[in-house]
Amino acid sequence: MANVLPSPWRAWLTSRSPRSRRQAWLGQLYLGWLALLRNPLALLGLAIVLALVLAAAAAPLLASQDPLAQSLPDRLLPPGSPGHWLGTDEFGRDLWSRVVHGARVTLYIVLLVVVTAPVFGLAVGTAAGYFGGLVDVVLMRLTDVFLAFPRLILALAFVAALGPGIENAVLAIALTAWPPYARVARAETLTVVRSDYIAAAQLQGAGSLRIITGHVMPLCLSSVIVRITLDMAGIILVAAGLGFLGLGAQPPLPEWGLMISSGRKFLFDQWWVATVPGLAIFVVSLGFNLLGDGLRDVLDPRSAGR
Amino acid sequence: MDGTGKGGAMIEIAGLEVVFASRGDRVRAVDGIELAVAEREAFGLVGESGSGKSTVLRALCGLAPVSGGRATIAGLPPPRRRDPAFARRVQMVFQDPFSSLHPRHTIDRTLAEPLVIHRLGDRRERDRQVEAALTDVGLDPGFRFRYPHQLSGGQRQRVAVARALMLEPQVLLLDEPTSALDASVQAEVLNLLSRLRRERGLTFLMVSHDFAVIDHMCDRVAVMQGGRIVETLDHAALARRQVREDYTRRLLEASSAHAPLALQEEGGA
Amino acid sequence: MSALLEVEDLRVAFDTPAGVVEAVRGLSFTLGRERLGIVGESGSGKTMTGRAILRLVQPPGRVSARRLAFDGQELLTLPERRLRALRGRRLAMVMQDPKYSLNPVMSVGRQLTEGLRRRERLSRAEARRRALAMLEAVQIRDPERVYRAFPHELSGGMGQRVMIAMMLIPEPDLLIADEPTSALDVTVEAEVLKILDGLVRERGLGLIFISHDLPLVSRFCDRVLVMYAGRVVEELKAAELERARHPYTRGLLRCLPRVGGPRGDLATLTRDPAWAEQGAE
Repeated sequence: MANVLPSPWRAWLTSRSPRSRRQAWLGQLYLGWLALLRNPLALLGLAIVLALVLAAAAAPLLASQDPLAQSLPDRLLPPGSPGHWLGTDEFGRDLWSRVVHGARVTLYIVLLVVVTAPVFGLAVGTAAGYFGGLVDVVLMRLTDVFLAFPRLILALAFVAALGPGIENAVLAIALTAWPPYARVARAETLTVVRSDYIAAAQLQGAGSLRIITGHVMPLCLSSVIVRITLDMAGIILVAAGLGFLGLGAQPPLPEWGLMISSGRKFLFDQWWVATVPGLAIFVVSLGFNLLGDGLRDVLDPRSAGR
Repeated sequence: MDGTGKGGAMIEIAGLEVVFASRGDRVRAVDGIELAVAEREAFGLVGESGSGKSTVLRALCGLAPVSGGRATIAGLPPPRRRDPAFARRVQMVFQDPFSSLHPRHTIDRTLAEPLVIHRLGDRRERDRQVEAALTDVGLDPGFRFRYPHQLSGGQRQRVAVARALMLEPQVLLLDEPTSALDASVQAEVLNLLSRLRRERGLTFLMVSHDFAVIDHMCDRVAVMQGGRIVETLDHAALARRQVREDYTRRLLEASSAHAPLALQEEGGA
Repeated sequence: MSALLEVEDLRVAFDTPAGVVEAVRGLSFTLGRERLGIVGESGSGKTMTGRAILRLVQPPGRVSARRLAFDGQELLTLPERRLRALRGRRLAMVMQDPKYSLNPVMSVGRQLTEGLRRRERLSRAEARRRALAMLEAVQIRDPERVYRAFPHELSGGMGQRVMIAMMLIPEPDLLIADEPTSALDVTVEAEVLKILDGLVRERGLGLIFISHDLPLVSRFCDRVLVMYAGRVVEELKAAELERARHPYTRGLLRCLPRVGGPRGDLATLTRDPAWAEQGAE
């Protein structure tokens, strides 16, 4: 599998003496990719995540019907019915189309959380670890306060205060999701901050901001990325949970949690209404988890390098 | 600009004390030492682990707390956190080349960073300087975009030396710069350091546990024990083994176990 | 009596993504009850040689040999259980840093007596007596205190002496010491070597001393093998080190500075690719 690239490209990527920054960087990326290729489960995870992205991007093409179009004569059709291979819900909406469009909502939530919580956690954690002393105490106690609340409860409180809706759900999730990143980043920072290359950078007159962003953060990044992928399943579940409780996405938006919630009423007689979006959540969560495990093996600085 | 202090000394240390406090214990790592190193001199500190020799270096450049006394290099006190002026005068080479280079930065980035921090030159000028620096420490410019883990120990230490010289400092602090290297590589790095000192008129303050290395590199040597200097010797006195202290004598004897035997010239081989 | 250890065509190979890397390539020697030094720089295969003899090479490393026999027993085909018994009793190894070889959560006394009590079924008091005697033999002044101490409470030199004591308690026939003093201060090193030397002489055991330090090894051993790129390039009587012929051995000696030596550039070693190809003789 590793030999799919034509050899001049491979030689360029694996060259021992790259001739430019970009070549060196792409070479490292290629080596990581090769390591990922050796882990079939991680590849399965990657395939699932790519499928999610693809489904979200091409939702109008993949969906057979309008996800919002109601058709009362066709309500609660079982899977395998003509024109509705996954069946329909209580308003006669096509479940396949709704699940595919729901991928968009899920991906939207995931992306919004990814660009907020880990970034904030990383900044807090590295600053606490690098400066130590009072800064460390204040930042980490604040982190502990957030960490002490059960996640869903805190998110519920935020949404209750801010009002229901997808953006507020994301904000609530982000506000409850950052503390673990801060912890990971701080632990990682403490292991590197005493090292000679940080001392060397200080002696060269580098300021704290440069050292934190240029020297410390790249070394924390791999643990944080791994943590993100492993966390993704939890984030999707909390988003679905909020949707289920009616505090996240609002009907008629095809959000998977919301879909399960509305299917609950028919769980015993029309099981597919809740099961289909449930399966979607399960598969996507599993995909992120598998990818996270694989990335841990590839990115962990302790296993790579030397 | 003349950076030396009043007495013409480049490095002046008077009554320096370093005390580390950890969990209620107070450890006096450096206990009142005095020394002056002239401009362009190479001065060595030799001693066993725990003698405080490395701590003196770290205190001089602000990496260890100065608890008492005074220390200046080129007239400058140890910097607190960030001191560009100090950085351009004084640089340090660390013991372990495996941990003194950032594992995720290319050699290029490592060498260019000091220039970027001090806003020296434009991009093209920096590129030229990085290549020149690599050549100067005996590395092929093809090493430029490699990562540290793709280099051998000796090559890494050459990169560390090149990085220390990017800002053209006057003083190099050398903390056991060859003790993690093989003997043959040690010879190469020591030769490199001697050559750079000659060419650039550098002042060296070097720390090592290896008496032979220190004596080979330095004009004068201070023997440290328990945070104090017990004796200061020059090269001629060492060659004649004119030492006063028993401790020094024991160190010399022990290190002679590692000294090479005279080789017989090759004949009829 | 026949040789204690016979090694013939020993090879250690590692499978890496870049292909097979041979760390040791066809090493042969025999060892009696003598002190043999194995010297080389990093990557010469000297450490792998020591580990291969004890079958301590971890996968993906592979060990092969035409003959690897300890006291007539072929080690490579010996069942794991009998090998373990051999390793605990008749074969011993001292490694570079005692910090990594002693169990940090067990007192020194317990580590010293555990093996004794299991193997020889000694009473607690008897095992304790033997351990204390051995601590005294490695010249620990206050054996009672060290017996009760935990490894982190010992200095480097003390820890290494405890390691040596632990290895010598079962009275092995062969001791492999891999850089046993390079983590120690020079004055402590001298003491530890003196102790090791005395024990080897008194008890007449075979010793393989692995080190990067050619002068040190030659002062301490009877015979020296110089390794380069997985092969022996020269074998010398230690007393005849100054008559070394191979350019690598000579280069290793020349490149060292000396107290009071000349100030010019140190001689450097120009590595000849041919060295890696041909072995000794």
